[in-house]
Amino acid sequence: MDIAALEHLGFEIALGAYLISSILFILYFSTKKRRLAEMGFTLVGFGFAFQTLALAARWFYAGYPPWVNTYEVMSFFAWTIVGAYLILNVRSDYRSVGTLVAPIAFAMLGFASLQPANPSPLVPALQSVWLLIHVPIVILSYCAFFVAFIASVLYLFKDKKLSERRPVQEALQPRDSAANAARAVSSESIGVLDKFSLDQLDDLAYKSVAVGFPLLTIGIITGAIWAETAWGSYWSWDPKETWSLITWLVFLIYLHAKTQNWSSSLAAYIATFGFMSVICTFLGVGYVLPFLETYVSISTGLHEYVGGGVVAGTVFFFGILGFMILLLLATRKKPPRPSDAPPATASTEAAPVR
Amino acid sequence: MAVIILISAVGSFYPGGDAVFGSLPFLVLIGLLAVSTALCSLTRVVPLWRGVMHPPIEVSDEFVQKLPYNASISGVTVSQVKAHWKGYKWHEAKSPDTTFLFAQKGRIGRFGPHIAHFGALLLLLGVAVGAAYGYANPYNNKIAVIPEGGTLQVDGFALQLNGFNVSYYNTGAVQDYRATITLIDGNLVQTRDITVNGPLTYKGLTFYLYAYDSNGVMESGKASWVAFQIKSDAGVPLVYAGAVVTLVGIMISLYVSHKRIWVKWSNERILLGAISNKSSARFFRDIDSMRAKLEDYSQARD
Repeated sequence: MDIAALEHLGFEIALGAYLISSILFILYFSTKKRRLAEMGFTLVGFGFAFQTLALAARWFYAGYPPWVNTYEVMSFFAWTIVGAYLILNVRSDYRSVGTLVAPIAFAMLGFASLQPANPSPLVPALQSVWLLIHVPIVILSYCAFFVAFIASVLYLFKDKKLSERRPVQEALQPRDSAANAARAVSSESIGVLDKFSLDQLDDLAYKSVAVGFPLLTIGIITGAIWAETAWGSYWSWDPKETWSLITWLVFLIYLHAKTQNWSSSLAAYIATFGFMSVICTFLGVGYVLPFLETYVSISTGLHEYVGGGVVAGTVFFFGILGFMILLLLATRKKPPRPSDAPPATASTEAAPVR
Repeated sequence: MAVIILISAVGSFYPGGDAVFGSLPFLVLIGLLAVSTALCSLTRVVPLWRGVMHPPIEVSDEFVQKLPYNASISGVTVSQVKAHWKGYKWHEAKSPDTTFLFAQKGRIGRFGPHIAHFGALLLLLGVAVGAAYGYANPYNNKIAVIPEGGTLQVDGFALQLNGFNVSYYNTGAVQDYRATITLIDGNLVQTRDITVNGPLTYKGLTFYLYAYDSNGVMESGKASWVAFQIKSDAGVPLVYAGAVVTLVGIMISLYVSHKRIWVKWSNERILLGAISNKSSARFFRDIDSMRAKLEDYSQARD
């Protein structure tokens, strides 16, 4: 069997494994049968192994690292996300998050499979050692921001659910309400969210950003150095650069929010918004502006995995905007509170002293 | 900062919108951000330095008891603490009835944000320097067209184009653009290649491949003329240095935690307090196990 066929086989098996595990996780989500989540998790690991094989095989026969065209970048990005999920599950039990991860991995591989998969030989501009360094670092940072995004969204939904149930508990047992609320929080069952405390989610989001932010910084610096040698300017405000800077600034605000002890839910919104900006950096800019034409003709081909039309781009951006508004509405706490932090959160807050 | 994000986002959407990045209001905004960053760091760094470099050692009981970690141990002496609690440099102070110990680690962690701020300002300074010198240099941003065999004369030296080659993959896609030039500077004569990822830098001028005469190149692999973009950016080293300093500052602020321990011995009893500016769980566990070890040790001796 030749290596190209091996790559396709590995890819198809991974795609199938992610599909079946998605179904298992969705069944788990509706039935809450623990066995289903375990099976789904094992299958995701199985798919990951075959995807690793496919990526390695492709690197071998294409002669360049598997992160140049859309097909490769999508597959590689999905691979890092699944990898992060598996790594997080080594030391703690994040199995149930597979309900989100497996369908996303399937969707990304599915999207990749619709793209032309033939390896395209590297254009001159991409023949650089920075291809080996810049791209994987940036993708890893996106992956870390994705983890922060998931943790933040879970945080917001959990926070809302807790804030809705707490007043009921307090009304039933008005005395010593703080202690009662804390007990209610720890014993309450709230779907997939009940595994994690607010602090755990907040902490996971912060740690992911703490990994992703330096990676993005390195990614932008290496990108600038590469641009300086290939385009003659370390910064030319092309949409990709601009959006990577926007993403960087949003997560910079997130880190300041954390050190200045702003409320955790505000930080979670910022992290969510930051990931939207990641998506814009990753995909969106290509849909809005066919910016490859703005590059000097001789060095085109960098960031070639993006492309599309203005209409698709508009739809895409409104989709993101809509998602943020929906999220805001869905996680808005019904009774407006004078303070941002509900009492039970404040008492269990990790609140690192600085 | 939010305004800069907004403007950048809008600027990137519209074709030609990138003109906003060179516009005066945008530059003023960046300038204001730089000034506020500088002021923020300057006003904080001196008190921080004093607090971190000269921490209070002779502290009150209340001070220790208010720390996030505090405990009291009996039957352990100060000298045992100093002898067995390794990995810290203990500072000692004595008053008539009390002995104070203090140790800290990771002081640099507190300065990380200020290092990062300094790096960002250095980077912006590099951008300004590059812009100022680039503006003053007549060759900067010029496109020079050299016919095959022709020569380009700039200040102090000349470039002669010996040839230009395009090589192709089997598929017909371009594999490589390569211009071969001879650099002539008085007695110095050197032959060099210029490729897409390999520009030529000499005496502060950098030459990038820009365009070529594509007529007949497919057949002959040769071009009758080649255009080079000339750049002169004196700010680049500063920009890179600033970027690296920023990165180092970010990593220090995220990964180095400042840990402080106070030990106070009086009336046969030790009062122990500790604080860390980052996730303290592991640090406090370490102190717990050290406390248990000290207690075991003192009991074994008794």
